[in-house]
Amino acid sequence: MSDLADRHEQFNSLEAELITVSRDTKFVHLAWQRDEKLLEKAEFLMGSDPTGEVAKLFGVYDEQTGLALRGTFIISPEGILLASEVNFYNVGRNVDELLRKIKANLHVARHSDEACPVNWDTGDKTLKPSEKMVGKVFEAMK
Amino acid sequence: MEQPICCGVKLGQCVPDFKLETFNPGTFGFGEITLNELRKKGKWTVLFFYPADFTFV
Repeated sequence: MSDLADRHEQFNSLEAELITVSRDTKFVHLAWQRDEKLLEKAEFLMGSDPTGEVAKLFGVYDEQTGLALRGTFIISPEGILLASEVNFYNVGRNVDELLRKIKANLHVARHSDEACPVNWDTGDKTLKPSEKMVGKVFEAMK
Repeated sequence: MEQPICCGVKLGQCVPDFKLETFNPGTFGFGEITLNELRKKGKWTVLFFYPADFTFV
């Protein structure tokens, strides 16, 4: 989460609202953010899901512990779920990859005939799938 | 047998509206946010779940 805090501007520039969510109350969020130096620069909204209702909605509520797993979800302005990634408790996420996925989703939302190939990032070549490309992706990627 | 964790909204499906109480460190203020509000503003929403405050990963 400290990496998210350091790079919040990048989320803003992508027209994306980043909301971190746990079952803690807003009061605990305040106390944690104020105490933890790593979160000093945090500007994202810290959401409170005390009943686990929102975690259940996304299938990341762990009945055994009553906690939410490390799930990340990207939702379009139309309300469609377009990306999901869930890690178990002890493995953190990669903010570069999250930003890359948001950028790729924004790109294909604006250019619906294009696809972002493996490892795509801003400025890289996209593909326009068509009859001509079948079996010729190698050539198209050049 | 432990109960599996499953059964959320699936990719490509429309996410039902939800509401969260929030703390905004930027303004040092409490508030509320709903998915519908963000959609009306034309924003993408990124939800980042984690087990608990004061944890380490």
